[in-house]
Amino acid sequence: MSWASATPPGTQPGYTSYAHAATAYTPVPVRQGFGQPYTLQPQYAAYATPTNPPPAPAAAPAEPQQQQKIDWPDKVRSYVQRSFEPKNMLPDVSREEMEAKLKETISHAKDAGIMYTTEWDNMPLPQMLVRTHRAAQLEAQRAAQMMTSAWSNPAMATAPTEPARANTNHHNSKKRKSNDLSENDPSTGTPWRSNKKLSLLDRISQPPSLDSKSLKQAEKAENRKQRFNNAEYKTYRSPSPPPSTGPILGTCTNLEKSYLRLTAAPKPSLVRPEHILHQTLDLLKKKWRKENNYNYICDQFKSLRQDLTVQRIKNEFTVSVYEIHARIALEKGDLGEYNQCQTQLRALYASGIKGNAVEFKAYRILYFIHTANRTALNDAIADLTTADKEERAIKHALEVRSALALGNYHRFFQLYLDVPNMGAYLMDMFVKRERLAALANMCKAYKPDFKLRFITEELAFESDAEAAQFIIDHNGQHLLVEREDSIIFMAGNAKQLFETARADAHRRVDLKGQI
Amino acid sequence: MDSLIKEFKTAYAGQLGNDLARTLTPDIPNNAAQMMSVWESGNSQSIKDDLKFLFVRDKSARLSMSSDEAAGWQEIYYSYWKALGEILAVEGLRKSRVKTSWTSVYEAWKELTSQIIRGYTNHEFENWTIPCLYVAGKYMRLYAMRADAERGNNGDDTVTNFQDDFDPETEKHKSLEDCARQLNRIFNLCLSDRAPLGESRKWGIYYAINLLFKTYFKLNSAALSKNVLKVLSAGRGDMPDFESFPKSQQVTFKYYEGVLAFLEENYAEAEKNLTLAWLLCHKSATRNKELILTYLIPCHLLTTHTLPSAKLLAPFPRLQALFLKLATAIKKGDLRGFHQALQEGEDEFVKRRIYLTLERGRDIALRNLLRKVFIAGGFMEGAEGGAQVRRTRIPVTEFAAAIRMSSGQDIDTDEVECLLANMIYKNLMKGYIAHERGFVVLSKNGAFPGTGV
Repeated sequence: MSWASATPPGTQPGYTSYAHAATAYTPVPVRQGFGQPYTLQPQYAAYATPTNPPPAPAAAPAEPQQQQKIDWPDKVRSYVQRSFEPKNMLPDVSREEMEAKLKETISHAKDAGIMYTTEWDNMPLPQMLVRTHRAAQLEAQRAAQMMTSAWSNPAMATAPTEPARANTNHHNSKKRKSNDLSENDPSTGTPWRSNKKLSLLDRISQPPSLDSKSLKQAEKAENRKQRFNNAEYKTYRSPSPPPSTGPILGTCTNLEKSYLRLTAAPKPSLVRPEHILHQTLDLLKKKWRKENNYNYICDQFKSLRQDLTVQRIKNEFTVSVYEIHARIALEKGDLGEYNQCQTQLRALYASGIKGNAVEFKAYRILYFIHTANRTALNDAIADLTTADKEERAIKHALEVRSALALGNYHRFFQLYLDVPNMGAYLMDMFVKRERLAALANMCKAYKPDFKLRFITEELAFESDAEAAQFIIDHNGQHLLVEREDSIIFMAGNAKQLFETARADAHRRVDLKGQI
Repeated sequence: MDSLIKEFKTAYAGQLGNDLARTLTPDIPNNAAQMMSVWESGNSQSIKDDLKFLFVRDKSARLSMSSDEAAGWQEIYYSYWKALGEILAVEGLRKSRVKTSWTSVYEAWKELTSQIIRGYTNHEFENWTIPCLYVAGKYMRLYAMRADAERGNNGDDTVTNFQDDFDPETEKHKSLEDCARQLNRIFNLCLSDRAPLGESRKWGIYYAINLLFKTYFKLNSAALSKNVLKVLSAGRGDMPDFESFPKSQQVTFKYYEGVLAFLEENYAEAEKNLTLAWLLCHKSATRNKELILTYLIPCHLLTTHTLPSAKLLAPFPRLQALFLKLATAIKKGDLRGFHQALQEGEDEFVKRRIYLTLERGRDIALRNLLRKVFIAGGFMEGAEGGAQVRRTRIPVTEFAAAIRMSSGQDIDTDEVECLLANMIYKNLMKGYIAHERGFVVLSKNGAFPGTGV
């Protein structure tokens, strides 16, 4: 679905944009930098390779074209320069040999897509590579001989690695094709893995056979060398980079993703970059309207938030994600999620990012009224500016607060009938509690009785029936008496009943999601 | 460095804890030159050897301390010297090649604090030296706050976390939160000492607690202080008497204990502690007295319905500005005046976290107003020619008129009834409302409890 719209791999736009991106993100590890603007290739390749081996050669014809366009990085240029400097020439390596090696090295780097990330400054010069290559071959031959003279395994395995530290990629391009097809595709995260698997296999299940020819041994040594080179890249790109590397850049292109709590640094391949997240949000909004499945939506929003957090994206888009999730959570009465969103929103607004700050500052006040969190309520008020206090929604919330603080239930229920935005969802949560408080209050103050209608009006019930039901629900049926044409509430007899109910209701504040 | 160690030796020989602590005090504002000379007298290559010489080989003034303890002090002065270098650099008093920041000052000072703590755990430091812990904690907190402020200004946040959402508080107070952990170490160091009281580090505990309280309040997590109080009350049996600690520590502790109760709306407890703090407070510590009163006055308003007298407030112009107008309005039963005073002071009240408490003063203002209506109602002939009694049946409309006049706002009778019901519910007024007939029946004796009518 997601990759249908993308440019197929190997076409011009893809490569040029890659070059761009790579220069823009020089410090970013290889495949991230490549995959980021060119995100769809890995998937494509991953799907294509098993079924269809030829893609590697198919991609090759595109390369010569691209060669003309390529803008050699400065580091590569200086590497070449250094190679030709007379003081760097080695007596035992001819210029031709060196040039061939240089060509191989660079073209391999280009083909493998590591040209921009290879540390050219630390890369051994080609003449050195030739030398180490020779040494390695010599070493391997010697090792093979030693092998036959019954040397132990580990000694042989470690011997060639020392010279192999130098980066020699060139001669492997042919072998790798035969070994591992996908290795030619630099953008998949897998080549080194499958390679590693191979190497493990090598070590465990294929002890070097004693009768193998020395040439074969040399070849193996080469292979091993290659593995170690790759291993170097592997650590560079390891799935859990040291935490100091800062925000990661995601490369995942799936719009949907299930939420999973992180226990370690996330893999870029599982994190969606911001432009994908924009599409995700649109999709989620559509789905919410159509399907109204809260469990699904909540899960998706949580993973969306997580992706934003790990990439440290804090902008208006972030605000809108949290706002939308907060509203949906409110509608569904999921206060835990709502509170998490509102905490983030407070910080985001405070850092100057635009959004619907007034709306959410008002919710925040109502929320803390509900949870009866005085400290937080005080903080919420402290956050308000003079201009904020003139906004209708905030003014309303403050009046609700003040009415409750003073026990003015009359005013409170008037405010309940006229709530801006989605504040009514929040007020619904504590309206029952406040009705009981008001009733306890009235039962103590009024004697001997009054009409049920008075309760209906004062406590904002929709009808006398609803008010009567509320009283009956709290075991007050004996307090309702029919007299002439109306129902009378025997307030004077009900003091204890509603006082107990009130105390109960005020004790049970749901503190879920509280900080 | 020589002179510093000389001071150290004098203090050590005399077992003078405060003098000892002074040798570790980076009092830049008053002593910049001296600090400078201490820093310049050493260099990073030789400082360790110098210290070793001064502590061990300098026969002229050898101290009677074990080599183990001497090693501990050497480490401390080495860390102090390094921290001093950072401080002088960040204050611009010395040129430094590397970039300096309060964060590195904080880190250096934290290292010093760790060394001092280690002195007690590993190097047999005696308890008369605990003032050293005090300076360490005190300056650590200051430097942590500066480090946070500096980072906040630079917008530099490199925190990486695996949380689903970022944590705005943590990012803002990274150093101070770390500081709270270090202070907790000091607290536990004092708490866990099992030595007999005479030589116990328990004598340092209230200083450590007070620093922790300050830090938690600053971190906006005052509730964490509750844990400290719990631990403290659990171990109170083995603790020296509270009264035998320095008064300054007692006052601070009682103040915070009172404010904590205040924030939890436990006003009786708050009043008890704040009153104690008030009584113990040094008479010339105006600022502290002012802080105590800031919470004690709202407490009194709620618990005893009393207001501060002009005489009490006289020495505190700031408190006058805060409370005088409000108090006058409450006394007169002036609802509009009360509203205005509350609004004018709102920012300040909210900042000090007394707004929500003071707001309840409105009940008292209303009570005073209703009481006036009751008194204005005059007397009626007593039954069967007895003594005159006050008129106790008062139409709701009379109260409504009074409230309208006093608040300057229109208000319908249902709302007036609601306010009256509240008065009755809160025991500020005794009587009942007869809704259908539209009047209030007040109690014959003590309609307004505690006010003489």
